[in-house]
Amino acid sequence: MANPRVLDKRRRSIRNIRKITRTMELIATARFKKAMDRASAATAYTTRITQLVEDLMTSGMEFSHPLLEQRETVRNATLLVLTANRGLCGGFNGNVQRAGFQRWMELKQTIPTCRLEISGKRGIAAFKFRGITPDVAFTHFEDRPAFDEVDVIATRYLEEYITGHLDRLDLAYTKFHGIAKQQVVIETLLPLGTIGGDSTAPTSPAANQPQAEAGARRNIYEFLPSPESILEEVVPTSFKIKLFKCFLDSAVSEQIARMVAMKSATENAGDLIHRLSMQYNRARQSRITSELMDVIGGVEALS
Amino acid sequence: MADTHPSATTLHCIVVTPEATELDTPADFVALPLYDGEVGIALGRAPLIGRLGYGELRVRYKDELIRYYVDGGFVQVANNVVSILTNRALLACVLEQDAAEEQLRTALARRAAGREELAIRDRLILQARGQLRVASRRQG
Repeated sequence: MANPRVLDKRRRSIRNIRKITRTMELIATARFKKAMDRASAATAYTTRITQLVEDLMTSGMEFSHPLLEQRETVRNATLLVLTANRGLCGGFNGNVQRAGFQRWMELKQTIPTCRLEISGKRGIAAFKFRGITPDVAFTHFEDRPAFDEVDVIATRYLEEYITGHLDRLDLAYTKFHGIAKQQVVIETLLPLGTIGGDSTAPTSPAANQPQAEAGARRNIYEFLPSPESILEEVVPTSFKIKLFKCFLDSAVSEQIARMVAMKSATENAGDLIHRLSMQYNRARQSRITSELMDVIGGVEALS
Repeated sequence: MADTHPSATTLHCIVVTPEATELDTPADFVALPLYDGEVGIALGRAPLIGRLGYGELRVRYKDELIRYYVDGGFVQVANNVVSILTNRALLACVLEQDAAEEQLRTALARRAAGREELAIRDRLILQARGQLRVASRRQG
């Protein structure tokens, strides 16, 4: 029979762990709500820019922009992998790392010059473990990525793409579909497939309203200076906002993953405490019984 | 959400950045920095899509005047709603004149070779000058 004192000690340590995991769960919940608000705010921007692009298209202009055109030969490619700086978030980091590693191997086989860029300490460590050192590493993106920070990276990619130093940009990250669904995806951001944001992004009813209204009555716009000039600006902006949205999606998904992981850890700790309590009670009871038996045996021997 | 009916009695001004909706307010008059100069928008303005420059956005409603620095972007005017999409919108009162002056000095000293680098330098100069203009009006 186990020692009751040892069992009690274990139970107390698990209680402490449960306190920590519960606190982490609460922190992740608060952070998730903030990250979610930021993602919704970015959706408002993408919805309006999509609306603007639709109105531009009604002017009857032909769409052509260097960022939209597929290049015949791809010599230089960059893979950006978005992971977290911290762990204890279930399979969030592992899933992105696996997908990113697979795409990295594919790119290495088909494209002569490949660059790997990783955001997040976990991703950097995982790729180093596999013997791959990233060309550029970012560790400053926490749960609140700022547009200005992403803008710096996006501007660099755009400059590289326009000057011919980059022909393709792939991004591995966890896409946020909703609270119940996050999915690891690898998207090719350059060349841009579409402009004006992500058509599959979840949008609030309020955000859909401008589109519905515009659909009801089309306006004839005056363009200042010209549709072509506006498009020239819209395409890079669209790329920047797409990249920013990916960072926001990744941040929201990380917090959800941590919240879920910590919730199940708390529940598991509760189950473990319950089991240990039963074992402890049985051990204590059997010790009392054996002591009683000793006392009764002693009394019987004396009488 | 803004009232988008053409017969609305006031304009509605919405300023959206990628991080937040900075301003969502009714307005009597809106003055915007377009790429080549200012444009004023009053009630009943014909639909417009324009490219913004770097400068001051003024929103007047009754006796109140709201002043922002907007960092490029786009404006869409339709059905008496002025939607401003910009990377950055800063209240004029929080602009830092010293930082803008420093940015202007750095940009003017920056060496640029090739069309792309020249465009970047020009953008930095225009941004800094726009900020300085807005900051100086605040003091004046």
